[in-house]
Amino acid sequence: MTTSTQHLAAGGRSDPLRRVLPLLEVRPVKVAAAIGFGVLALACAIGLAAVAAWLVARAYQMPPVLTLSVAVVAVRAFGIGRGVLRYCERLASHDVALRGMAALRANLYDRLAADDRPVTVRRGELLARIGQDVDDVGDVVVRALVPAGVAVVTSLGSVILLGVLLPAAGVALALCLVLAGIVTPWLAARAAARTEARGAAVRGEVTALSLEVLEESAPLRVSGRFGARLAALDAADARLSAIADDGARTSGLAAALGALAQGLAVLASLTLGIPVAMSGSLSVEALSVVVLTPLAVFEATAGLPAAAVQLLRSREAARRLLELLPASDPMSAARVARVARVARVARVPGAAERAGAPDPSGEEGTSCRTGASGTAQEAGGALLVLDHVAAGWPDAAGWPRTAVEGVSLALRQGSVVALAGPSGAGKTTLLMTAAGLIPPVGGTVSAWSAERQEVGIPGYRSSDVLPTTPSPSATLFVAEDGHLFDTTVLENLRVARGDVTAAEARTALDAVGLGAWLAALPEGLDTVVGTDAAAVSGGERRRLLVARALLSPAQVLLVDEPAEHLDGATADALVRTLAAHARATGRAVLLATHRLTPLAAVDEVVVLGHDAGAAHGVPATVTARGRHEHLRTTDATYAWSTSQER
Amino acid sequence: MKPIDPRLLQQVRAARWYVALTVGLGVAAAALIVAQALLIAALLAPVVRGDATSGPALAWPFAGLALVIAGRAGIAWAQERYALRAAARTIAELRRAVVEAWALRGPRAAGTTAVEAAEGGPPAGAPASGGGNGASPEAEVATLATRGLDALEPYLVRYVPQLVLTALLTPALVVVVLGLDWVSAVILIVTLPLVPVFMVLVGRLTAGTSERRLATVERLGTQVLDLVAGLPTLRAFGRSFGPGERVRALGDASRRATMGTLRVAFLSSMVLELLTTLSVAIIAVGVGLRLVEGAMELQPAIAVLVLAPEVYLPLRRVGAEFHASVDGVAAASRAFALLPSVRSEDEDVPASAEGLGGRVTSGELVLEGVSVRAVGRGVVAPAGLTARIPLGAGSGRVVALRGPSGSGKSTAVLVALGLLTPDAGRVGLVPAGGALRDLADLSADERDAWWAALTWVPQRPALPPGRLREVVLDGASPGAARSLAEAARLTGLDSVVGALPDGWDTHVGLGGVGLSVGQRQRVALTSALLDDAATKPLVILDEPTAHLDARGEQGVLDTVRAWRDSGRTVLVVAHRASLLGLADQVIDVRSAPEPATGPGSCPEPAPAGRSTTNREA
Repeated sequence: MTTSTQHLAAGGRSDPLRRVLPLLEVRPVKVAAAIGFGVLALACAIGLAAVAAWLVARAYQMPPVLTLSVAVVAVRAFGIGRGVLRYCERLASHDVALRGMAALRANLYDRLAADDRPVTVRRGELLARIGQDVDDVGDVVVRALVPAGVAVVTSLGSVILLGVLLPAAGVALALCLVLAGIVTPWLAARAAARTEARGAAVRGEVTALSLEVLEESAPLRVSGRFGARLAALDAADARLSAIADDGARTSGLAAALGALAQGLAVLASLTLGIPVAMSGSLSVEALSVVVLTPLAVFEATAGLPAAAVQLLRSREAARRLLELLPASDPMSAARVARVARVARVARVPGAAERAGAPDPSGEEGTSCRTGASGTAQEAGGALLVLDHVAAGWPDAAGWPRTAVEGVSLALRQGSVVALAGPSGAGKTTLLMTAAGLIPPVGGTVSAWSAERQEVGIPGYRSSDVLPTTPSPSATLFVAEDGHLFDTTVLENLRVARGDVTAAEARTALDAVGLGAWLAALPEGLDTVVGTDAAAVSGGERRRLLVARALLSPAQVLLVDEPAEHLDGATADALVRTLAAHARATGRAVLLATHRLTPLAAVDEVVVLGHDAGAAHGVPATVTARGRHEHLRTTDATYAWSTSQER
Repeated sequence: MKPIDPRLLQQVRAARWYVALTVGLGVAAAALIVAQALLIAALLAPVVRGDATSGPALAWPFAGLALVIAGRAGIAWAQERYALRAAARTIAELRRAVVEAWALRGPRAAGTTAVEAAEGGPPAGAPASGGGNGASPEAEVATLATRGLDALEPYLVRYVPQLVLTALLTPALVVVVLGLDWVSAVILIVTLPLVPVFMVLVGRLTAGTSERRLATVERLGTQVLDLVAGLPTLRAFGRSFGPGERVRALGDASRRATMGTLRVAFLSSMVLELLTTLSVAIIAVGVGLRLVEGAMELQPAIAVLVLAPEVYLPLRRVGAEFHASVDGVAAASRAFALLPSVRSEDEDVPASAEGLGGRVTSGELVLEGVSVRAVGRGVVAPAGLTARIPLGAGSGRVVALRGPSGSGKSTAVLVALGLLTPDAGRVGLVPAGGALRDLADLSADERDAWWAALTWVPQRPALPPGRLREVVLDGASPGAARSLAEAARLTGLDSVVGALPDGWDTHVGLGGVGLSVGQRQRVALTSALLDDAATKPLVILDEPTAHLDARGEQGVLDTVRAWRDSGRTVLVVAHRASLLGLADQVIDVRSAPEPATGPGSCPEPAPAGRSTTNREA
């Protein structure tokens, strides 16, 4: 069994399950132990049947009772041993599976942490499923690997037992076991795969329609579409039933073959054994064993159809997990470990605080650089320079679709710049490009530390360069949907910097207007804010994220929509806080907002948008820029938009 | 816990039919198992005794055994084949019933989700079946209808057949064994009841520990997922590598806690295995020893030996599928808990003699002192709202509902639609020259006629999944496709479409996933613009400019103007000055503190619901 596990672990490239299995760090010895217990447990059941068959045939000849005592003791021992050994097997296999799941989670985390690709919608869905998928992959040990191993060993043992007594019966049993243990599971898996493949789309449709009818019943009823939706749900469910029905044909066949195999084995033993026994060359005890043992053997194969289906499900889960990892060349475990080690070195106290300091890990870090050395001289005291940058997300085919282009700006120490413009003008995309989260479609992004050393921008690495994190982030992107962790307020703020003190935390929370909120919390800074920060309102969450950004050592803060979910006055105050923070600490702030009123506090407003009459699909450009007051007097649209915000 | 919910048999046709089939197959299976044991004994015993004669004497039992084996394969086929079919149909039947019943809850309950979403506050009316703590009842129903009911499949396919077999086969086999060898039968009768007794005992002893441990395991699992979910944030702060160690530590802790639970949980199955296997061993030894003493015949001895494990087999399988039963029964009872309570609320009012007479295309929509208590907020919102809104007067009219957040504007819209019955006051239609007809008194046909006469764009518009073009044209008349470009230009949807990679063929998910809130708003407005002005004289918009920037808002203003110009009445919940400036009539909506005296005695708020006329069209 060890060999089969090693074979699985070594595995080919094509099967996703084989590619994921190394991440489970399964120890073959443990798997072998689990299978060993399982084999012994099942051997007890088979031994019980065989010895009892011998006992009855022998007892009929009325020998002295003492000659039966070994058999009597053996039968009772098997009777007890089976339950106990099965208990051991289940514990051993679950232990292997749980260790595997823990290792898989940790390995996935390391790889995801080392992966610098931005999270897209599809990846978001996959991430949401990660817990279930890890469980499904782990289940392969308990529900497929161990049962299969047990079945192989016990089947071989039974065939040898019968083969020794009556070779022909051994061959017949082997054939029937192949039918029950290989053909049947294959059919069951095929049926499940077909049903799953054909049903996936319909299942999605049923779910979508159910949710729509449930959530939108009032609008649907008012607009007279309710009946049609219910009819569509009925039709989709009928199609789903038809597909299940179709699969049931094959699984029915599998079930029939499984039952048939056992009966055929008994029948074959009788047919082959009786003539031989009557001729006297087979003892009656042996005949009894040959005929009655197969009744117990097929318990080994009974669970295999389910095991085959589980294998299929685990493989799908493994495929989804692989999708999360870098597609082309998944990093070896050693490489990930190295990256993680280097990153930990980089996070020693002091390194984080001196934002923009050269990477302590040496040449690998400094090779993470952008080009555009020409702009270095022009940039003056700039921390971040965008030079004719075009930004966009790759489309489905991987080609970048430019959302906004021709943006040049320089952020110096203490400067505060705002990106304004209608939704869809590419404000967020531009921010993420400036942060290095997505590579620019055109132009260059350059970042310098306050000490005038060029620092790495994540997102420009070629595959042979270490990922991002070794260089302490000079720029920080504060996403609209930043994550609040399921821990205390203070620990959430410490995500920005490990040594944030309680006093610093209070100051930052006061600055964003959360002082009263903090005072009302039952345990102050030690209050747990909960998963998905359910205990926190949208506006409070927003301000917590900004407070965290204020505590970050990053020299450049790129803040997306700080005003979202906030009422006008609070939103304006928050923008002013950010601006004051930048000026007081010599940091630079670039913020994207569609609320214009607070922009009186910033140094420059860059308005993104389309020229009137621009064709569809044309990237947005800078339509106006300048100070807020200047734009209010010179730009009619800007003035009108501002006037509407009351 | 009942092993089978009786309502499953009473109310679901597919399940009833299936259980009957399973009982039939179970009886046949019992007969075949007995026949197989007797035939094997009949074939084997003469050979062991040494008095066997070859030839036709053996041929008959052989043929019989072959037939029995074929029969057992046939039963296995039928059981699996029809179990899967019945499970799929049962799930479909229940899903349809749950979805329809929940969607058609009484008007009061149906409004709650919309109000909640619109006002951001607690629901205006308590839902029919309160969910209480944890997830909202809406989320629970959605989970049940989409995934929860799937738990019925393993329950019906694996558990129910074994349960039926246990009930049929076990007693039948005990009777047969009694006829063959009464001593073995006594052993069976004594040990069989011990199995459930011991399992219950072990279960009771371990339940507390398991639950505590499972809670630990769940918490550990959540923390790992929390770290993974927060990875983009950690990466942004350059701190994504530290927690790797923590994930490992958490995984180890989780494993230790789980193993602790399992060590205890597997005890019950060990008891089951131990009892059943040991009983078979005792029977085998007993039979052997009586054979030595000559106290028993060989043929029944072999038959008993073959039958003994079969007696315990269904019971063991029931034990193995116990989890399937728990999940399945729980899913079924959750579904049935929803069905009767919601059905009773959907009583249609019989059509009255003084009906509306077909479509509502003229007259007035009248609200008289309408008050709705907002449960849990201690306020009445709206309070004493009075307004007269002319419908399809021919000249077109924009009526704005104005008021601070939480004053009950969206609730007022639901009342006007007839989705929510006010706690005090009246809402109804006054046909030209007729008397007030309360919306609550309308028959189902009349209510449909009222809804057919209006277009409603909720604050969170309902978008069906599909391609953008189909989404916009959903429910529109066939001719509407021609006006699509014009409508899209007016609402600004055309620029949205132009920026999308696949244009009009872009795939939109359920609820508009893939589009921003502002873009969804424009899709809904475009769709509403395509409605026929002649048959839909009233357009109701709930905060159409929320989530829009200044340019997007301009599209809405143009759209509202277009509606007015086509002679329609536009009732709009308005926040911004621009939209209010467009209104011909402004209705102020106010809330009032809830009176302590109880329902139905709303205070007379000062001149709330005052209608002011800004500008005559």
